[in-house]
Amino acid sequence: MKRIHLEIALGTIFIILSSVVLIVMAAEEPGRLARFEVEQRAEQIEFGAAVFEINCTSCHGSHAQGIPGKAPCLRCPELFASRLAEVGWPGSLEDYIVSVVSTGRQVSTRPALYQGEGKGPPVMPTWSERFGGPLRDDQIRAVAAFIVNFQGWAENPEVVPTPLVAVDINDPVSLGRVAFVQYGCIGCHAIDGLSQATTGPALDGVATRAETRTGYESAEDYIRTSILNPGEFVVEGFGDGIMPTNFSELISEADLENLVLFLLSLTEP
Amino acid sequence: MLNSLRQRLSNIPRGEDLRNRIRTLIDDRVRIITAGLSIRELRAVLRGDPPTEKPNPRYKVITTSFIAHLRPRYYPQGSTWFTHTFRLGWFTTFFFMVELITGLVLMVYYVPFPDQAYGSILEIESNVFLGELWRDLHRLGAEAMVLFTWLHLFRTYFTGSYKGARTFTWLTGVLLLAITAWLSFTGYLLTWDQLGYWAITVGSSMAEAGPVFGPATNLILRGAPDIGVGGLLRFYLNHVVLFPLVAILFISIHYYKVSREHGISLPAAIEEGDVNDNKKKEANRRVDLIPDLLTHEIFLVSVGILALLLILYFDLFNSPLETHANPQATPLDTKAPWYFWWLQGLLKIDPAKIIENLVNPILALPLLKPLGLPPLELSRLLNSKFIMGLIVPPVVVGILFVIPYIDRNPARLARKRPFAILWGIAWIFILLALSYMGLPQFGIETPAATRVIQDLAPEEGMGILRETPYEELLPGIYTVGETDPDGICPSDFSYRNRETGEEVIGCPHLTEVFAQFSEGLLRAEEEGRLPDLHATMLIEQFGPELIRVELDVIWTDPETGATKIYAKHYFLHEDRSLEE
Ligand code: HEC
Ligand code: HEC
Ligand code: HEM
Repeated sequence: MKRIHLEIALGTIFIILSSVVLIVMAAEEPGRLARFEVEQRAEQIEFGAAVFEINCTSCHGSHAQGIPGKAPCLRCPELFASRLAEVGWPGSLEDYIVSVVSTGRQVSTRPALYQGEGKGPPVMPTWSERFGGPLRDDQIRAVAAFIVNFQGWAENPEVVPTPLVAVDINDPVSLGRVAFVQYGCIGCHAIDGLSQATTGPALDGVATRAETRTGYESAEDYIRTSILNPGEFVVEGFGDGIMPTNFSELISEADLENLVLFLLSLTEP
Repeated sequence: MLNSLRQRLSNIPRGEDLRNRIRTLIDDRVRIITAGLSIRELRAVLRGDPPTEKPNPRYKVITTSFIAHLRPRYYPQGSTWFTHTFRLGWFTTFFFMVELITGLVLMVYYVPFPDQAYGSILEIESNVFLGELWRDLHRLGAEAMVLFTWLHLFRTYFTGSYKGARTFTWLTGVLLLAITAWLSFTGYLLTWDQLGYWAITVGSSMAEAGPVFGPATNLILRGAPDIGVGGLLRFYLNHVVLFPLVAILFISIHYYKVSREHGISLPAAIEEGDVNDNKKKEANRRVDLIPDLLTHEIFLVSVGILALLLILYFDLFNSPLETHANPQATPLDTKAPWYFWWLQGLLKIDPAKIIENLVNPILALPLLKPLGLPPLELSRLLNSKFIMGLIVPPVVVGILFVIPYIDRNPARLARKRPFAILWGIAWIFILLALSYMGLPQFGIETPAATRVIQDLAPEEGMGILRETPYEELLPGIYTVGETDPDGICPSDFSYRNRETGEEVIGCPHLTEVFAQFSEGLLRAEEEGRLPDLHATMLIEQFGPELIRVELDVIWTDPETGATKIYAKHYFLHEDRSLEE
């Protein structure tokens, strides 16, 4: 066989092989596209979680659980079940979130419950770059995907685990630290290493300060009262009525116990 | 009128006559289309038979056909020997064609604006039929083209093919090298992800370091002090219009020299060596374009296409796409594409510092000290970006340019030009060494905790943490030095691998992640870089199908005694891809 014949034969085989590979790839393509979309969605949710953690936790809580008085829970059943009807939004939940986050909120639709930082309008700032905010469209889409991903939990609230925050389950102080995160106290109070919020007084050294408050049986009594009935003693420099007054209904007895022990551990160095 | 029609009809030939008429008619058309080949001849060509007519009609094609006239009539057999050219220049052209075709397809979907570019790439991958294939072909073709251009350069260098009349071919070749580099550089930005954005930001910041015209060049290039809307558009237009045109022009000139003016060089051994006459005769025998060269090239095309498709089918190559470009956050290890590592390596050399280090100890010698000479502070005057980024690369290109003029030795045979061969080999090693220095890990001191975590889960890309299957990410707090990596999950824990369906016992991936985390940190503690180490890996269920992994390292700074914290966290969703 001459070389040219060999080349014609091999070339033909290679072209046929290439076509076969191409056909196989084309046959697998719809599957790949579908898989890519699922994986892309997963990565969008991850990205959204990161965006949320940087921008939103100061009002909506470390785990989107909401902070009483500040901003609503974004993973609770209400948002998924009834919120769209309540505000009369005709589209999907994801689009609602994109829209609200992009533009922000001038005034609260539930002023009795949520007042943002409490500094007046806007209760939630504009987030979209288009309107002078810090976030790009794809970041807002991602954060919406992250919130919508909570659907599973919103439909079965009993499966929701407690956040970890370096917890030692046998140590009440450690559990109290978790409760401090869980009930959104970190949204208002700074504690070294946990939060830098400034709406309420920083709580480092609160146990030492509590000793000096007059009219209370003990430091423990003062702290417990401060949580359950904040209006009784208003810390200088802060307004009355900012800290929510309904914690007695929200916090379980055990959690309250742990919370108080945790705050009592915050003595001045 | 009717009469003339009748007359015409009666003129129509019948039977044998008619068949002959039709045959000549078709033959004429075919000759026009093939620029000179009849049907019979065409079949002979396809079969590899000798010409059917005299004079050889295949040569006529070369003068009449536009496409064929770009090609040589024939090459001497010797210059088509595979071991002479390795078809490197040919494959460079092939990959350039691949780039043109796939690039045109990508252009249909790509949007060159910062707020949409990244999304349009995702769209190509997720919503365009075979979109990933097109993108991978374009990326793979680009890397192959760069690689083959370099190899081709070294081939022509080592075979001494740049000498004599081929000097100009070499010069246009050097230009093509620069054009190829610029095409790949501009294309790198278009994905608008962290990888491209920062590689190009670092790369193009060299322009800014230049004297006098630096800032202006930077402005022309980027359209603004930083890369933004204007910069992306400019890079895009460079990439899809200006430089493809320039490349086509110069490839044509380069190739015209080869095909029409002096052919491909004969192997030096034939020209100068003492080979026997038979061999010489064989080497000088003509190999015609039609059919031999053409068949061979079509064969090479089939090899090239099959190779590309197989590489992609078996997932041996993947186009990277990292997170959306973020001008506010420089990733820890900015990484240029591999074919620019040598440049990145160059940038790490600071010649002013080296001279200072050499000269200052001498100045400090007891003899000179009394003179009161101040220490040399060259690095204040000469910044390394300027020297290594702006001076050295043009000098390298300059050296390449003048090689044919410096090397006046007329011999091409390797053994008659030992110095040139050594010099070429030295260059290969220099390039490899510089590329090695260009690796992000080389010569850049990263604090221990940062390095350990970056190796587990780099800021961009995968790393073994992100490759861990979701099922293994068991919530809990794992403390370095306390938790045993092997005991990280319950002894009876098992799950089904989602891809293979196999039962996996224990959690091998997570064990490895934690073992690597622990080992890296404990070693650094032993070496005294992380005293009082306290480190944890915290895995938390953050949402449905969503895990948050936090890596915390706390230590006491050995110098200041202050407590230091380095913490990073990652969100991992159940459906994420575990491969790059
Ligand atoms: C300054 C505090 C603040 C920050 C920071 C903040 N929000 Fe809000 N957000 C609010 C308040 C207050 C409301 C409730 C307004 C109302 O009830 O009308 C709200 C409402 C919402 C709603 C609508 C919920 C509903 O039930 O209608 C969404 C969605 C939302 N925020 C998402 C976000 C995201 C995402 C971020 C981070 C990018 C964010 N928010 C950051 C204060 C904040
Ligand atoms: C919406 C903001 C907000 C939230 C949420 C909040 N606080 Fe407060 N808290 C305040 C403000 C403002 C004060 C100071 C005014 C006052 O004493 O009522 C305060 C005061 C306190 C004090 C007294 C501090 C001192 O130095 O005497 C304690 C203790 C306290 N909060 C604990 C908590 C705990 C525990 C939680 C979570 C269950 C919580 N707070 C949630 C705003 C908040
Ligand atoms: C886009 C890049 C390039 C393309 C497409 C290209 C293409 C080609 C082709 C097709 C040939 C015919 C011989 C062969 O196949 O090897 C050739 C020959 C040649 N090329 Fe290139 N080339 C490129 C870059 C370069 C570079 C960077 C150099 C060197 C600086 C160079 C120098 C030469 C020389 C000297 C010849 C003649 C070789 C001989 O006669 O043996 N080319 N080129």
